[in-house]
Amino acid sequence: MPESRNSCLTRPETLTAIGIIVVAAGFLVPTFDLRAISALLPAAMLIGLIVLSVFLLLADQRKASAGEDAAPMTTSPKRVIGAFLMIVSYALACDFVGFYISTAVTIPLVAWTFGYRSPVGLLIATVIVVGTIWAIFDFGMSQDFPTGRLWGR
Amino acid sequence: MYSDLLHALPDVFAWTNFVAVVIGVIAGIVVGAMPGLSATMAISVLVPFTFGLEPLVALGLMAGIYNGAMYGGAIPAVLLRIPGTPAAVATTFDGYPMAQKGEGGFALQVAVVSSSIGGIASAFALMLLAPPLSKVTLLFGPSEVFWVAVFGLASIIFLLGGNPIKGLISACFGVFVSVIGSDPIYGNDRFTFGQLEMLDGINIVILLVGLYALPPVIDLLETPLKTGGVNSSKLGTEPIWKALPRMKYWKTWLRGSFLGIWIGILPGAGGSMAAFMSYNEARRTSKNPEKWGEGEPEGVAAAEVANNADTASALIPALTLGIPGTAVAAVMLGGLLVHGLQPGPMLFRDNPDIVFGFMWQFLFGAILLVLLGGSLATNSFARLLNLPRPLLGSVIIVLMLIGVYSIHGRMFDVYLMLGFGAIGWVMDRLKFPLPPVVLGLILGGFAEENLRLALRIGRGDPMVLFQNWTSLILVALTVAVVVGPTLKKRFIDSRKKA
Repeated sequence: MPESRNSCLTRPETLTAIGIIVVAAGFLVPTFDLRAISALLPAAMLIGLIVLSVFLLLADQRKASAGEDAAPMTTSPKRVIGAFLMIVSYALACDFVGFYISTAVTIPLVAWTFGYRSPVGLLIATVIVVGTIWAIFDFGMSQDFPTGRLWGR
Repeated sequence: MYSDLLHALPDVFAWTNFVAVVIGVIAGIVVGAMPGLSATMAISVLVPFTFGLEPLVALGLMAGIYNGAMYGGAIPAVLLRIPGTPAAVATTFDGYPMAQKGEGGFALQVAVVSSSIGGIASAFALMLLAPPLSKVTLLFGPSEVFWVAVFGLASIIFLLGGNPIKGLISACFGVFVSVIGSDPIYGNDRFTFGQLEMLDGINIVILLVGLYALPPVIDLLETPLKTGGVNSSKLGTEPIWKALPRMKYWKTWLRGSFLGIWIGILPGAGGSMAAFMSYNEARRTSKNPEKWGEGEPEGVAAAEVANNADTASALIPALTLGIPGTAVAAVMLGGLLVHGLQPGPMLFRDNPDIVFGFMWQFLFGAILLVLLGGSLATNSFARLLNLPRPLLGSVIIVLMLIGVYSIHGRMFDVYLMLGFGAIGWVMDRLKFPLPPVVLGLILGGFAEENLRLALRIGRGDPMVLFQNWTSLILVALTVAVVVGPTLKKRFIDSRKKA
């Protein structure tokens, strides 16, 4: 489904190209402190990224001026943002609260939020997944998982 | 030359190695059968879990998954007209009409037998072609190795199709990521910003999981796919030994295998192209082409034999030169590196048991497809389509975190993986190709090291890179790969105008 945008600068490819230019230029600064031979490849790649992004930006703007709408990156932005936030929250929760508690909460929470609404199914899946992880990694392989910075561990 | 191949055989029959292939094939079929998941994603998630395993166990799992997933993609393609993997698109053309006519079981059996034949042919091609090619590459010095790396990157960027600017951006990004960490010669930090965790560079597994596993998980959660469920009892399945006599597609299998192997060797092509070409050729030479698209079993055979024939053959340039033929092969290269196996000629000299064992595992994986897929696929695997996607997504998130965390036992890697995941999602949506990033990371360090070595040998004179015929041939090949697609397009356009 094509979209209408108020500004041609908010097109996804244009924004990406601008983002790459800014970040690559930022990374280019530390290359001046490196020896020439050490900076050769990274500087070449960063300059390459900047030049190519300028081409990408120009090509996208040409499309915009020709009246070509950019395809949206997602048809359900709320679901995508929600998914990303949940994944990041899960990582943070593992780090601060601990792996097992976070996992036992995250599996049913993510599945429920995104449409799987069977309480029994969720309970069984959570028990199986957490139990299998414990049996294989903790019990079988002595793998340590994050225990939670909040608890001072 | 082939004696090492026979010496490696007993190792493959060690029960752990054999079980790994069996588990890999089953897991591959499961993953392939789930629309939205792919062999690339499955192997990316698997790689970190293989750290503590013996190399052949790990590689057996990967070989099994690759073989299994290529067939698994046919299950939803036949039953729902949703290809489980991109390579299974051509399978929908005749597979789905067959299922609608009540022949879904037979369509899946044709798919599994054809996939197995394609996989076996591909494994033999790998066994026959890789050893002599590796002998040739043993003659390469630093400047030739540098040009091989450049050629590999150029191939994957320009032969992959799509927008070359995006391909180049992906490759530059990958190469840039490869230089993060300590300088290999002087030891000074590059782009670590004081983070001790980054001194050793970016572990390839972190990048692989981020780029290849996170975007499909977001897809699973983004679109609630309603399949309406699959009733596997209505597939019309008969035992595979009764179905086999009905399959008389030897010409199609032979042609499809050849096409699949050839396309697998070419960098940047892949299973989808192989399946389409094989389907078109089989249809063109068919006595009754009008029946194609309405449920012709030979159409399923043509597509499936070719998309499995490109599996092991994609590893021919990957194992010998370090240039993968497909995205999965690129990820597998990452898996080899994790186990300290540097792709290239030295791999065959230093680790013959492992590299040749890996080839045997591909062969056994392909044979196992019929045994595992044939007896179970039509009913048990069809039920996989009823698994709820959000639940699957949440379980994969947990596996991703465990896999990445267990590399070094630190959360920093997990946050880094999420960063790469976000970048991977944007790249995926804007159609930036992902394989050049992986290849850039693999070949970047390799290229830099050999470039600097060559320059040292030449006392700083860059002409050292062009001083022998092998280097010049590789430069010419690189130029051909870069300029070739443009010239071909212009030629086709001019012929159309004329």
